[in-house]
Amino acid sequence: MEESPLHPFELHNYLTVNLGGLDISINKAVIMMWVVVGLISILMIMAGSARRLVPGKLQSLGEILVDFIRGMILDTMGPDGMKFFPLIATLFLFILFCNWLGLIPGTYTVTSQIIVTAVFAGFVYTLSIVLGFVLHGLKFLGILVPPGTPGWMLPLMIPIELISQLARPVSLAVRLFANMTAGHTILAVLFGMVISLPVYIGVLPFGATLFVNGLEAVLIAPIQAYIFTILTCVYLGDAVTLHGHSEHAH
Amino acid sequence: MPQFESHFFSSLIFWEVVSFGILLFVLYKFAFPGILSVLEEREKKIKDSLDQAEIHRSTAERKLKEYEAKLEGVSREAEGILLAAKERAQRVMEENEQRLIAEADRIKGDATREIDHERRKAIQEIRTQTTDLALMVAEKVVQRSLTDADHRRLADEALDALSKSSR
Repeated sequence: MEESPLHPFELHNYLTVNLGGLDISINKAVIMMWVVVGLISILMIMAGSARRLVPGKLQSLGEILVDFIRGMILDTMGPDGMKFFPLIATLFLFILFCNWLGLIPGTYTVTSQIIVTAVFAGFVYTLSIVLGFVLHGLKFLGILVPPGTPGWMLPLMIPIELISQLARPVSLAVRLFANMTAGHTILAVLFGMVISLPVYIGVLPFGATLFVNGLEAVLIAPIQAYIFTILTCVYLGDAVTLHGHSEHAH
Repeated sequence: MPQFESHFFSSLIFWEVVSFGILLFVLYKFAFPGILSVLEEREKKIKDSLDQAEIHRSTAERKLKEYEAKLEGVSREAEGILLAAKERAQRVMEENEQRLIAEADRIKGDATREIDHERRKAIQEIRTQTTDLALMVAEKVVQRSLTDADHRRLADEALDALSKSSR
């Protein structure tokens, strides 16, 4: 039986639901979101309720995750960035667990849906822009002028910076979506080989499947979640401190 | 690509926003405060412990220096005491030796004197007896009594001759 390597990304509605004309049908990706939300909630609530000075395993896991995210925020945004901790931590955990759980055979990788990553990226970018204008007013437009730019370069620099700004949400969304899609496509291709080849050759792609799956789980899934989150921190940090502008003023 | 089938978009967006919102609320309300406070508490505790340890370390170092100085003083003192004791023992030993030698000399001198005295006494006794004997013999030879003074004179002469000849 030959099937497309993109088959794992197909969705089918299990239950058609309509909310005031809006189609909110239940499909595999939606169920995976629920599972992710449930799993993270249970894990983190249990980790947070132990509150022991010398932590147990679960508490350690929760603390490692939280401390990791905290370090990320403090490194990029400083202590002020801790205001955004709940948002950034939730984003990181949500993406991380979507990436991870999707690697279990038979499940669905929510983050391989471009619309899901686009919503996150759009939200983060919009938030950074709104925040920038709320905090700095029209001065926030200074983000389009890198510090030290001579006046006559402005007509050139502003369009370039504008494009780079607009590319931010797009690259943020596409990077995660493309990485997840590519990883799972490779896995699907390899596993297709395992099924279609005779057993004595099939063990080779089978080994490769296991290897790539491990690679995805250990490296790609956490790294992509990390990249998405750290870029979120950077964008929000830019909006809060208005980097270039404050340095320019000196 | 199946991901671009737009008829799933509305449900995915809706459930993504709802799920994320619920997760954010749950974690914000029930999980993060606990974990963050434990982390901060532990950080503070570790920092305090380190500060405390630093204080203890400097105290210990100071004490150690004090004790070392004290120990050195004590050891110097002990050395002095030992040296003095040795000197004293040496002196006592030498004194004893000298005392014993003197005592032995004294005993030897006494004994020598005693022996000398006894010898002289014995010689005197022999002399007296010999005199008497000579007198008796002379009386018998001469067949007449001499006065006591004669006896004495004769005897002394004889003895002198005797002692001269015996020398």
